[in-house]
Amino acid sequence: MTELIDISVDFAGVRLANPVLTASGTCGYADELADFMDMSALGGFITKSITLEPRRGNPTPRIVETDAGMLNAIGLANVGLERFVTEKLPVIETMSIPVFVNVAGTTIDEYVAVTERLTSQETIAGFELNISCPNVKKGGISFGTDPSQVVEITRAVKAACEEKVLIVKLTPAVTDISETARAAIEGGADALSLINTFTAMVIDTETRRPVLANRTGGLSGPAIKPIAVYLVNKVYREVAKEANIPILGLGGIRTATDAVEFVIAGASAVAVGTASFVEPDCAVRIVEGIKSYCAEHNITRLSDLVGSLDQVGPE
Amino acid sequence: MPEEYTTPKKGLFTATVLSNRPAGECFYKMNLKFTDAGARAFAAFRPGQFVQVDASDAGLPAEDQIPPHLRDVCKRKVLLRRPFSFADVTAEEDRTTAELLYCVLGPASVRMTTLSNGDAISIVGPLGNGFSIPEGKKTALLVVGGMGAPPIRCLAKLLTAEHADIETVAFVGAQTRGALPFEGRLDEVSQNLGFCVPAFAKYGIPSVLATDDGSAGSQGLVTEYLVQWLDQHECPPKEAIVYACGPEAMLAAVARIAEKWSLDCQVSMERRMACGIGLCQSCAIECRLPDSNETIYKLCCQDGPVFDARDVIFER
Repeated sequence: MTELIDISVDFAGVRLANPVLTASGTCGYADELADFMDMSALGGFITKSITLEPRRGNPTPRIVETDAGMLNAIGLANVGLERFVTEKLPVIETMSIPVFVNVAGTTIDEYVAVTERLTSQETIAGFELNISCPNVKKGGISFGTDPSQVVEITRAVKAACEEKVLIVKLTPAVTDISETARAAIEGGADALSLINTFTAMVIDTETRRPVLANRTGGLSGPAIKPIAVYLVNKVYREVAKEANIPILGLGGIRTATDAVEFVIAGASAVAVGTASFVEPDCAVRIVEGIKSYCAEHNITRLSDLVGSLDQVGPE
Repeated sequence: MPEEYTTPKKGLFTATVLSNRPAGECFYKMNLKFTDAGARAFAAFRPGQFVQVDASDAGLPAEDQIPPHLRDVCKRKVLLRRPFSFADVTAEEDRTTAELLYCVLGPASVRMTTLSNGDAISIVGPLGNGFSIPEGKKTALLVVGGMGAPPIRCLAKLLTAEHADIETVAFVGAQTRGALPFEGRLDEVSQNLGFCVPAFAKYGIPSVLATDDGSAGSQGLVTEYLVQWLDQHECPPKEAIVYACGPEAMLAAVARIAEKWSLDCQVSMERRMACGIGLCQSCAIECRLPDSNETIYKLCCQDGPVFDARDVIFER
């Protein structure tokens, strides 16, 4: 029965065999999870953030657990563009699924430089623009909270990535996320991903200091899922549906039901993040669970489910 | 290291709890059984490697069974796995058993105490790099601080089984008698003979025991007794090695002592970590780059948890 169900996704022109991707920063550069699952069973892979120069990241502690979630302040630690090209790309080239490279930087020029260098790589399906990281002093979220800057940076990176897909990752730390979404689309975004983490703090009551060395970190995990579902639905209804721009929904997904919620809210695809830390093969289990949901609900094409929220009562 | 040894494949396995009971005042000892692929993966477990245990599904004990100082914090839910190093691993024909010796100190470990014979527990491992035993060593000095005991005990067994020519001495420290992660009676007679910690005595390894308050063994820091031993024994640098696991301040002190005596020293480090498999990048340890003033962050989970003490810049 489940063989007859089409859960493939046309994501801004990229064919995904299924709607489940790995979220940036939670699944390494390429095949770190290969010991735990068949990577080819994923719909797609999103690398951790790549910056022009290598970044050490923040001092420790970099994480702290909360009820139903965790805070992280890694600080975009990564090997930098050159080592990514020489060490990680060869592994990515062996992967049989679409790979999106998450790009971060402190200036627009840095984002553009990383994208320009990588756009000629055939094996890269597209880019995810990280303008929503809450854990670095410069760049990151400071771009993502100002619509005029969102337009500018998206336009610059879109010009650099040529025909490759550009996904813009949105922060929830704004009054109206639809405004940011509109700005990204105006700048040329092919798709939107939402949401990044929420800035948060945990205090050690013995020392009266923040637990994280960075003081604050980004809250992720099941705790943020209902907010993420709401924001995906808001952006879908107010912006993305009419503009025909697909949404990659993420924030606290760890079950197939969670993933289906995002799809009903308006996401064409979803990404699994924090849950992979606990259950490394979580994403593959969710793929199977989505098929079962479709079978049980007589859905032959997952695309029919996208944005199918039954709007009852006042919006 | 036998020639047929290859890096074992890590994985996500379900272990069966064989037993789970208190060991000392703040510790529990859980015996686990792996079968099939898990048995094969853990048969290759090296002392110092670790596992990530999912305790989120286990229930809380009755309120009066929870240590009073943990009753409030235990109301918190557990999301992430917790890292532990096995204290003993035994590969048999069709199964591999492991001893998980854990300190009861928060919402996850309190939940773990409710597991009992027959229960299933989800384990990711074996992870990281364990201790190595360089060629030509004739003396191994094992230094344990409090809950750092498990990987050192596992190493003691390996040294006894595969390196009988290496003379081994254990230095065990804790704040108090109650904070000692060992079972068995610390009787005065065997103490005088130098075999005061049963967990090491059973491998024929003499030990020096020290507590901060003198409630067990001698009073003082374990590192003071390491220095005293080194002062009293002929110990050619190339022939001796120090292995340590415990609080970071102790590891830093052991590293300084090893440097002073020009001894090789391997330390098992700990950091807050989410995944244990290199995804989250949270368990950073600042390390020296060879022939350079620069430092880099290595990952405790992937590059460690065992590091050459000379490489590590210890946190204060």
